[in-house]
Amino acid sequence: MKPRLPLIVISGYLGAGKTTLINRVLAEDHGLKLMVMVNDFGAINIDAALIAEASEDTMTLTNGCVCCTMGADLFMAIGDVLDREQRPDHLVIEASGIADPARIAQVAQAEPDLVYGGIVTVVDGLSFEMLARDDQIGAQVAGQVSAADLILISKMAGPDPTLSMRLCVQARAAVFDLTEVEALAPLLFGSGIQDLPDISTMRHAPYLGWSSVSDRAFAYADLLALLKARPEGLFRFKGFVAHNDTSGWEVQCVGPTVNIKPLKTAQKMRVVGIGLRSEITAKQIDRWWGG
Amino acid sequence: MSEIVVFSAKKIITMDINRMEATHVAVRGGEILAVGDATCADQWGEVRHDDSLQDTVLMPGFIEGHAHMMAGGMWEYAYAGFHDRIDPDGKLWSGLTDIDAVVGGLSDFADTLEEDQPLVGWGFDPIFLTSERMSKKHLDQISTTRPIAIMFSNFHLMCVNSVALEIAGFDQTTNAEGVIKGTDGQPTGELQEMAAMFPVMRRLGIDFRGLSQKESVIRAYGDVARRAGVTTVTDLYSQMETEDVSTMLRVTGSDDFALRIVPALGAAEGPKTIADKAEALAKLSTDKLRLGAVKLMTDGSIQGWTARVKSPGYVGGQPNGIWNTPPETIFALVEELHSLGIQMHIHVNGDEAAEVTLNAIEAALRKYPWTGHRHVLQHCQLMGRDLFTRAADMGVCCNIFANHIYYFGDQHVALTLGLDRAERMDGARSAIDAGVNIALHSDAPVTPMAPLFTAWCAVNRQTMSGRTLGVAQCIDVEEALFAITMGAAYTLKLDSEIGSIETGKRADFVVLGDDPLAVDPMALKDVPIMGTVFGGRVHLL
Repeated sequence: MKPRLPLIVISGYLGAGKTTLINRVLAEDHGLKLMVMVNDFGAINIDAALIAEASEDTMTLTNGCVCCTMGADLFMAIGDVLDREQRPDHLVIEASGIADPARIAQVAQAEPDLVYGGIVTVVDGLSFEMLARDDQIGAQVAGQVSAADLILISKMAGPDPTLSMRLCVQARAAVFDLTEVEALAPLLFGSGIQDLPDISTMRHAPYLGWSSVSDRAFAYADLLALLKARPEGLFRFKGFVAHNDTSGWEVQCVGPTVNIKPLKTAQKMRVVGIGLRSEITAKQIDRWWGG
Repeated sequence: MSEIVVFSAKKIITMDINRMEATHVAVRGGEILAVGDATCADQWGEVRHDDSLQDTVLMPGFIEGHAHMMAGGMWEYAYAGFHDRIDPDGKLWSGLTDIDAVVGGLSDFADTLEEDQPLVGWGFDPIFLTSERMSKKHLDQISTTRPIAIMFSNFHLMCVNSVALEIAGFDQTTNAEGVIKGTDGQPTGELQEMAAMFPVMRRLGIDFRGLSQKESVIRAYGDVARRAGVTTVTDLYSQMETEDVSTMLRVTGSDDFALRIVPALGAAEGPKTIADKAEALAKLSTDKLRLGAVKLMTDGSIQGWTARVKSPGYVGGQPNGIWNTPPETIFALVEELHSLGIQMHIHVNGDEAAEVTLNAIEAALRKYPWTGHRHVLQHCQLMGRDLFTRAADMGVCCNIFANHIYYFGDQHVALTLGLDRAERMDGARSAIDAGVNIALHSDAPVTPMAPLFTAWCAVNRQTMSGRTLGVAQCIDVEEALFAITMGAAYTLKLDSEIGSIETGKRADFVVLGDDPLAVDPMALKDVPIMGTVFGGRVHLL
């Protein structure tokens, strides 16, 4: 069986900075093979030295990432990626400026071959208040924030606590100002277990890494209840959990969303989490997760 | 020089004010050579008289200004709708008016399939079946071994059986919005929205939108059109890749293909990209495949509460609808395409969407004056006199969704808008009086393609329950017939070639079994369609 493909949706109104974020992610040194589907291929602006190959609607980078247009039908495009011989490590979809990102991201909760990687909404810190009040598009712009698992504020000189608080209340999501984020990959994709020590020692890192390996096994209902009671501030939590001798669970939690999918092979429990250093300590996570 | 054929008919309704009626039409090389009596073409030399249509009534071939190629493709699957419907081969599919009928009808269809072939249905509409919700329990009665998926008429929901749930991996552990669960914690079989339907569709190989690109589908579309008396049809939101265009050119180019297709490219990308594609496509146009126009989306649908409506909004207090294209992008697309001389067909259901779109066209016109752009607002369901007047001022055409009055009028009274605004929906009278060039449409496959039925709706404004909804907006039979011929031709910029039976135009006719101007207006929809004449060649059903 091919590994499940995590899907991340990048949302945000026109001009919020989605493309800038994608340019940044593509160029970042994260060691992941990303497949990024964008609306406007012309707006992707990657250093020519990083481009291995480019055609009318696909660009392959020297780091193994691929950027392409999604074509006429987004869901067909997702199907095509799943049918590939070699799936990428993550699929990133840029939602259109007015789209409800949940309508796209929900496919990752339903489709057994996908893993829900979360909705990342980019908010233009300078214009958000005005847009959210707009008679014509305010409700849809606010909806993109409410649907988010992670909010990234763009275009500001530095963090604005009032705005962050407001967005945090509206979305129940983790909120970061992009000026305080050194590396995007841990936030957007979680991170491989082997990378964890790097996160916690990262310069200015506002988040901490946590992991656990043990022989515990869970019934579905117990696991669901536990994950739903996840402490706030532990904004990413993922891994594999044992069920019995022949099956297990693949778990992916991001922001307020819990996603559990069955696996038909025995699993040893190994989970990782990323939390906000300002809001949570490793001890609190230990206490919640238990022995 | 090709031979001259003079067709006789009981009556020829020309839609040409110079000669409203005739008994004969002469055709040479696919073109109308003369219109009049039996001697009308004698000046041109030797003629051959063809009296095979002498007991029929001829009109200009109908023009369906808003339909989708999917209307042909749907028939690869089983019809499970409430209303009777006729497939491209002429077979009548009786409407399935309760759940038992749906189960029975689909069981009969299942018997025609290979053992392991999925059963896929379409057109199911729970609005009309109020007794109980369809669930896997009903579909399991049809088969417990074959996967079954029934797509609802709005394409936002489907119901599947237990086998299909298992293939998609849906069970009590599935925690996904849209995968509906019952009180027992198990999926009921109902799947809401594309994200939840995708795992089933992917595994059963269901692809409704991809249906437009195959030869069999294009041909089925031709058959659907011929049965409706349509000789020119649109495909309004076409997604054409290079290979699709060559398939379309090959199929439409064959001599036995009796239909002209006018696709409008769906604007799914940025203004510049769409404009480039439209300009490239325009260069590939042929007589029977007219390329180059663009379709823009703006809002959703009124019955789905997703149309953008002006104050006071929906009667149930539902939040205002959603934009599929935000207003600032509508402005950007309209300006770019207008500046390059590209004609646009713009979807507007709610009146706020119509207003924003007219504002965008007005802004573009101030910057790039262009008389004769003939941009077309499509659906126009909530436009009032004020908006129609603005459309007329700017030379914007309106293609009105008249079939909605019959199919959804009662719902609009009860659930979406209330009686007063429902009575002025699809207001063809206001549009004509304001001086707008109008067409009337079916939006097939949303409602069946049948221009005479569409005209009947605009004339009588009768709903499914028999109520006359907004008598003030009724139009005359003559006006309705003009709208489905010359009016629609004008919206496609083809009025110099088609839309009337007039010397010099294409010899495209609909062959009717009765005179639509003589029958009771309530019987307009029942006038029999016998077939079409396309480019002078007779294609009877």
